[in-house]
Amino acid sequence: MGNVMISIENLHKRFGDTEVIKGISLSIEQGEVVVIIGASGSGKSTVLRCITRLEEITSGRIIVDGLDVHDPKTDINYVRTEAGMVFQNFNLFPHMTALENVTLGPIKVRGVPRRDAETLGLSLLEKVGLAERAHHYPSQLSGGQKQRVAIARALALSPKVILFDEPTSALDPELVGEVLAVMRQLANEGMTMVVVTHEMSFARDVADRVIFIDRGVICEEGSPDTLFTNPSNPRLREFLGKVLEGA
Amino acid sequence: MGFTFEARVMWETAPLLLSGLALTLFITVVGLIIGFIFGVVMGFAKISKSRILNGIATAYVEVIRGTPLIVQAMFLYFGVPLATGTRIPPVLAGIIAIAVNSGAYIAEIVRGAVQSIEKGQMEAGRSIGLTHAQTMLHIIWPQAFKRMIPPLGNQFIISLKDTSLLMVIGVGELTMKGQEIISTTYRAFEIWLTVAILYLIMTFTLARLLRILERRLLVKGGA
Repeated sequence: MGNVMISIENLHKRFGDTEVIKGISLSIEQGEVVVIIGASGSGKSTVLRCITRLEEITSGRIIVDGLDVHDPKTDINYVRTEAGMVFQNFNLFPHMTALENVTLGPIKVRGVPRRDAETLGLSLLEKVGLAERAHHYPSQLSGGQKQRVAIARALALSPKVILFDEPTSALDPELVGEVLAVMRQLANEGMTMVVVTHEMSFARDVADRVIFIDRGVICEEGSPDTLFTNPSNPRLREFLGKVLEGA
Repeated sequence: MGFTFEARVMWETAPLLLSGLALTLFITVVGLIIGFIFGVVMGFAKISKSRILNGIATAYVEVIRGTPLIVQAMFLYFGVPLATGTRIPPVLAGIIAIAVNSGAYIAEIVRGAVQSIEKGQMEAGRSIGLTHAQTMLHIIWPQAFKRMIPPLGNQFIISLKDTSLLMVIGVGELTMKGQEIISTTYRAFEIWLTVAILYLIMTFTLARLLRILERRLLVKGGA
């Protein structure tokens, strides 16, 4: 199989007195699409945020493409260009156009000349279906469009892996599809992806592996088939019952 | 004894009053430019994780906000020279007083505006590999600045009017000029009315200018 892209070893994370992650180990290979599911508050987003050090870890180790993320000697800004992040609330920069959102990283971080960055930016916006919205500000875009710009922004640094933190949870139901379509396309192109989501159909269709996190530990993991068709764990069965009921 | 309004006095004393107005404007503009720089530096110091910077900025803001400008100006002009042995010209003392005083309030405005920007903006900036400083400069500051304009406008107007207190240290600004004219003409009604109108023109113009700036910035992005 391929190279290990992300390796999480015995991750613990506490916020004050509450331990939200109680020893998670996980290894993600290049080109793999891993979907993390679990109830809200189970710690799944926190795992994702620890991977690019948006949260400090309490103990354990996280290696991204050979770099120890939480080692103070590691250039964390470099790690973050290798592991892009897409947020639930998009977090586009409201004072910049879609194109400026996408080109900021290449220009400021990579030192790419503006014109080249704009060519790259336009091609990425075209890829997510928003070429004609390049000069619109985020306030002029729908939620689905904003999230697609955010994906283009992450892609602009040619990351080796993209982390999606509930990318469709803040969207109106009719806008979810357009974002999932872009994510599907990325998966088909071989992008390594870690996706925290409640979209079970996406998990079933696109994931190579599904991980069910419950109360801060990995409760069950496996191929979507085994997890969804034949959930052995009672907690997972209960969770799926609740989620799929609404679908 | 009847009161007659003598408009003539207003015209005759206009050149003198306008020279006072010029000094008021000069002290306000220079004082506020320096005050803004103080305010930005101290505002960021208040946000900073460094205990020392934080302590300095907090002490600065508390001391300045907690004492009257008139006391600060007199301390600076009459008090400090006794300790240092060097006198400061009144205008310079006035500029320093306005700068230091407005800086304390502007520091709070800057801190508030920067902290009001959603946490996700910093995270998004850091997530594309920008450093903390780059994210501040390119992402947080432009958004925070927009939010600062209304309270800054308030502070600018307050500081402009506060320059009138500098007459206690002998700065020949607009209010002092008015006082001087009255002491020889005894036309208190006409002169204070003129002085008031001149202040009103300045504050009104300032408010308009800031509103134009705000609207310009709002065009970009709206949020």
